Amino acid sequence: MTVGTPARPRGLSLRRLRFWREGGSGRWMLLAGLAVVLLLAIATAASLLAPPPGAFAGSLMERWKAPLEAGYLLGTDQLGRPLLARVLAGMPWSLGIALTAALISVGLGTLAGLVAAWVPGFTRRAILRLVDTVIAFPSLVIAVTVIAVLGRGFWPLALTLGLATWPIAARVVYAEAMSVARRDYVLAAQLAGVGGTTILVTHVLPALRPTLLVMLAFTFADMLIAESALSFLGLGVPLTAPSWGNMLSESREYLVEAPWMMLVPAGAIVLAVVALNLVGDGVAAISRRRARDLA
Amino acid sequence: MSGATTDTVLAIEDLRIGFPLADGGVFNAVDGVSLAIARGEILGLVGESGSGKSMLALATLGLVPRPGRVVGGRIAVLGEPVTGAPEKRLRALRGGRLGMVFQDPMTGLNPVRSVGSILSESIRRHQGLDKAEALDLAEAALKAVGIPAPRARLAAYPHQLSGGLRQRVMIALALVNNPAVIVADEPTTALDATIQAQILDLLRTRLSRAGGLLITHDLGVAAEICDRIAVIYHGRLVETGPAAEVLSRPVHPYTAGLIAAAPRFDRARPRLNPIPGQPPGPVAERAGCSFRPRCAHAGEACGQAPALEPVGGAAEHRAACWNPLFRPVREVRT
Amino acid sequence: MSRWRAVGDVLLRRAVELAILLFAISTLLFFLLRLSGDPAAVLAGEEADPATVALIAERYGLDRPLIVQYLQYLASTLLLDFGESLRGGLPAIWMVLDRLGSTLLLSFLALATTIAIAVPLGAWLGMRPDAAERKVVNGGVYVMQGIPGYIVGLILIQVFVVELRWLTSIGISSWTSWILPSLTLASFLVPKMVRVLAANVSEALREDYIRTARACGATEREILWRHAVPNALLGATALIGTQFAFLMSGALVTEWIFSWPGFGALLIESVDRLDFPVVQAAVFVIAFLVFAVNAVTDVAFRLIDPRLREQRP
Repeated sequence: MTVGTPARPRGLSLRRLRFWREGGSGRWMLLAGLAVVLLLAIATAASLLAPPPGAFAGSLMERWKAPLEAGYLLGTDQLGRPLLARVLAGMPWSLGIALTAALISVGLGTLAGLVAAWVPGFTRRAILRLVDTVIAFPSLVIAVTVIAVLGRGFWPLALTLGLATWPIAARVVYAEAMSVARRDYVLAAQLAGVGGTTILVTHVLPALRPTLLVMLAFTFADMLIAESALSFLGLGVPLTAPSWGNMLSESREYLVEAPWMMLVPAGAIVLAVVALNLVGDGVAAISRRRARDLA
Repeated sequence: MSGATTDTVLAIEDLRIGFPLADGGVFNAVDGVSLAIARGEILGLVGESGSGKSMLALATLGLVPRPGRVVGGRIAVLGEPVTGAPEKRLRALRGGRLGMVFQDPMTGLNPVRSVGSILSESIRRHQGLDKAEALDLAEAALKAVGIPAPRARLAAYPHQLSGGLRQRVMIALALVNNPAVIVADEPTTALDATIQAQILDLLRTRLSRAGGLLITHDLGVAAEICDRIAVIYHGRLVETGPAAEVLSRPVHPYTAGLIAAAPRFDRARPRLNPIPGQPPGPVAERAGCSFRPRCAHAGEACGQAPALEPVGGAAEHRAACWNPLFRPVREVRT
Repeated sequence: MSRWRAVGDVLLRRAVELAILLFAISTLLFFLLRLSGDPAAVLAGEEADPATVALIAERYGLDRPLIVQYLQYLASTLLLDFGESLRGGLPAIWMVLDRLGSTLLLSFLALATTIAIAVPLGAWLGMRPDAAERKVVNGGVYVMQGIPGYIVGLILIQVFVVELRWLTSIGISSWTSWILPSLTLASFLVPKMVRVLAANVSEALREDYIRTARACGATEREILWRHAVPNALLGATALIGTQFAFLMSGALVTEWIFSWPGFGALLIESVDRLDFPVVQAAVFVIAFLVFAVNAVTDVAFRLIDPRLREQRP
């Protein structure tokens, strides 16, 4: 029995390349991961730089052009605005809110899960009972209700969604932390007199990294869906913001004239969600395989 | 193969079961085995794990797991071929004229089905009875294997029964349609020693009414209830003969080794005499006698595969060995 | 009898959870409402004049100390008195209960649709998960899992109402308008259900008892439907319980898209118009529904699985 974390794998790039060679879910994960990084980069660029031309002002002469018609790659909407520009301009909203909400959700969940794992007795029971209770309740109903009070916008939405969904991460982190806490190297550290907080930071958290990454990917995807659903219901971001959910909401009026107004933002959401799910499943499969190889 | 008379209930001739290898070749897990079981007879097939004995048991049901398949030879139950038979005929055979008892009664019974529904499903399938009649027969079958309060047990689920009772249910399931042959694959291995004895007792009385093939790694179990014994090593029979004859005068060094390796309780400090070396892996080379690397008597001739031939002495006692032993076991290894 | 005792324990545990949940929700709403500004102004609505606001403040006791308000609020909540709707003046709880039937109908239709689609598909996929055509279908299910239900709803409307004109998409009046909402709501659950079932079936097919069934002469169809699927369904039953919350979230969106007169649509309208009494009543009824469904699936699970029957929760 040795005290200390297992040896770190050498070289980041070497590890990544191995995923490729292992094929299967690892390969999908890598491609999807690249797509996610690309999406986030575009979203950052779009929020830092000026919005793409035509995202907010179009000409009625150009309205309802089908994709590829008149040089519009993805077509135009009822005001003649190119949908490509609208989808790009919507990224900081949709992806930004979803990522912020996911970070809040996983962060709070991790905190609650670790506290529950580390403080037995009443605290643990109280947290676990709260988690069970909130999970059983429809998160969209919580979100809608809180939004009724807080109002619309980027931060209310991100906060609300994060607050409505943290128990899922809490439950996963708790289970994982409990299993890590029973491992030999944690027991050894405890016997050696290492303090609880130090063990938490040096042993438990590093072991949780893959789990947290998986949770983050899945929660990001769920939040993307939730944000767009709320915007779609008219309870999300301000109605003028071109978030993907708002675009879908608008498209309902014009399903007859311009079905692509629905299909373009829908496609953007589905692609992003599937990519995030692939990343989550890929990381999960790889860490499972690694755990099996070690055993 | 000799001895396939009108009284033969199960005949296996030159059976070969092949598994495809990564390099495109085929490995025969069972390689040219011939056996016959007469009515009222129990044959013990004895071998180590990986010797191909369980594969042979599954082959009698036409259930060799993929990607394996029967690549040669034939199996017949009551003269009706199993090998090459259409799936429909096989299904009529399975659980009908051919009953099977598996090793692990803990996992072998469906956890969400009651004992009565498991038994009556098989009865109705093979005998075409209605539900009430089938349940009556199921009750009788439970009673016949010594389960107390059989009517009440019909409603029980497998997890509510002890390991011994579950194995009795498995045996009842194998017997319920009055099969001509019963194949039992390690029926007592997963049980406690005291339960083992009870189950063996039950098997002895029940199997001998039809024909029985008992598959085991334990010579002691085979000695207990079998009329004849066949020893299998690396997919081939190395010795067959009447149980008493094979146990008291083993001819093949492997059989002798198995007997010597069995724990004895009639001495103050029993000494185990393990057979040296490891059983061959599934794809080990098969030129010559497979037992040669572990055999103290191996000679030049063993580079050629020996045939299963009469060794003199009692009738039907045969062995596949170039340097057979003729001395009593205890003196073989000193 | 121990079986009923176990059931009682389950119900008790769920009831405690319900009490915690209702208490937490009402407390949260109470303080959020007061944190976000003058609740009397909010309750009175955006266009109310100062006199109305004052009237509301007095009527709801908003001029008293916070703690008194809180206790009074809890007491009236306990009696299911959420006040009157700001529109029409009907008691909020009536308005919500009036919509209960529609939401239950939609949930039931969606659940039935889910089972009708997911069980055969899951069994088929689980039978031989490595076959090429099933891998393709499995990939399709995976992508389906990433498609939000309301997009499915929009696509269904586009195809069956706008293009083909086969079905109607609005309201509850005729059965032709039931199909698309049911399918839409089912699409929230189907992909996950299929994947869980397929995994369970393929696992069950590797069990020893399947070999026993084969050795008794069972056909492949009997093996699948009488031996593997019942075992696989046990896990899926548990999933229906845990996914009910998700189904309710989906009902919210589905009812909105199809103008289905359930309390999901009512909740969204009321949030939109800041009709707080109705919002609160709707949330309470949904919480109670979640409690009831979880309790029922817990009990059902115990009754279906003979192994769990005697166990304490």
